Amino acid sequence: MKITVQRSGGIAAMTRVWSVEAVSDDDKERWMPIVEACPWDEAKSQARTVNEPDRFMYSIRAGQRRATLPERAVTGPWQELVECAKAEGSESRGRLGARR
Amino acid sequence: MLCSIVPPYMLRRIAAQSEPRLWAVARAAKESLLHIKDLQAVRAAPAPSTPPSVVAAKPSPPKRTIYDADTSENLPGRVVRKEGAAPIGDAAADEAYDGLGSTHRLYAEIFGRDSIDGAGLALDATVHYGNLYDNAFWDGNQMVFGDGDGEIFQRFTKSVSVIGHELAHGVTQFTAGLNYRNQAGALNESMSDVFGVLVEQYLKKETTEQASWLIGEGLFTDKVQGAALRSMKAPGTAYDDDILGKDPQPDSMDTYVRTSADNGGVHINSGIPNRAFYLVASELGGNAWGAPGQIWYGTLTSGSLPSACTFGKFAKTTAATAEELFGVGSVEHDAVLKAWETVKVKV
Ligand SMILES: [Zn+2]
Repeated sequence: MKITVQRSGGIAAMTRVWSVEAVSDDDKERWMPIVEACPWDEAKSQARTVNEPDRFMYSIRAGQRRATLPERAVTGPWQELVECAKAEGSESRGRLGARR
Repeated sequence: MLCSIVPPYMLRRIAAQSEPRLWAVARAAKESLLHIKDLQAVRAAPAPSTPPSVVAAKPSPPKRTIYDADTSENLPGRVVRKEGAAPIGDAAADEAYDGLGSTHRLYAEIFGRDSIDGAGLALDATVHYGNLYDNAFWDGNQMVFGDGDGEIFQRFTKSVSVIGHELAHGVTQFTAGLNYRNQAGALNESMSDVFGVLVEQYLKKETTEQASWLIGEGLFTDKVQGAALRSMKAPGTAYDDDILGKDPQPDSMDTYVRTSADNGGVHINSGIPNRAFYLVASELGGNAWGAPGQIWYGTLTSGSLPSACTFGKFAKTTAATAEELFGVGSVEHDAVLKAWETVKVKV
């Protein structure tokens, strides 16, 4: 299972991406509860809440699941998932956007 | 009931005043003109409770409070400096205090605006927010500044244009209420960049020619290859760094970026209206807080921008505002039309 956390926005608008590849049984055993704890279905409605100017936006993927959350909504299990991905994931700086 | 005793042609002349001390009066005159237009459009409607006045109310002095979050994410934190108190020796807190003052001064002295909401709103800011937090934001009520990670960013209070940027989000919230998504979001961002640089230019008394037109100059550490977060004069050229990559801002509609990140690229496509403002200032020369600032402020507060405003609608409104303030075919009106043509936004 691949876990990806993309943080975009902020006044500087520099996108950062942290990725974790949970391949071994040990890794999966550790990451599954963290991923399962997140309310993925509720996230759909949160994505529509108005973001505060210059706050970060998080796009989170784990396997087939996806969620887009404003920074303010990254609390509880989401915060746990994001913090773990930042701490253990490999980082790449996402280049924003293929130009049209 | 048409209550203004000053005829529209005279209001128009007052509105076109180039004397800085008369701008507050000129603004009120312009608002009266718009008001008359509204009245003419809805003559059947009931009379307004407050008649337009040519004399703007005098803005009140700032009411600043600086808080310290002590690297937590709890807002607002503990009070460290109140209005009128001496500097406390904490760089971030004192920079925030001074930056709020400079921002308040621009709105009061140049636009005749009484604080962020136009009604003397107290200005609150929290510094030392979060652990090595790489950002600054406006949360709907106050400003929040992080210390930066020390690797890429230094503390976010170092740049007065950033402080002005955050407060301008408050002004936009209380006026046009532009959505923070897609083109309306990019306009919201651009408003903050425009009034952010004007705070800095007015503080330093820099003309268009002397100013850097950079947002967040001095925020990067020495390790970064870059001058600032954004350039209004030349969007896309503020930084080019091995780790950060290149400044992704477009400078015309030809290179408009479609992305789902960053609320639809609000900090990216803002480069287009940012450059339009710079081009107007450059064409007219002198102080950007003069005619260019008056046109943009007049547009923001015109009441005719929808919350889902597009670049095209915004451009049309700047042209209408320039026409209202300076007349058709004036150099100001022409400069606005030419600027939008250069960045390829249809007026
Ligand atoms: Zn902003």
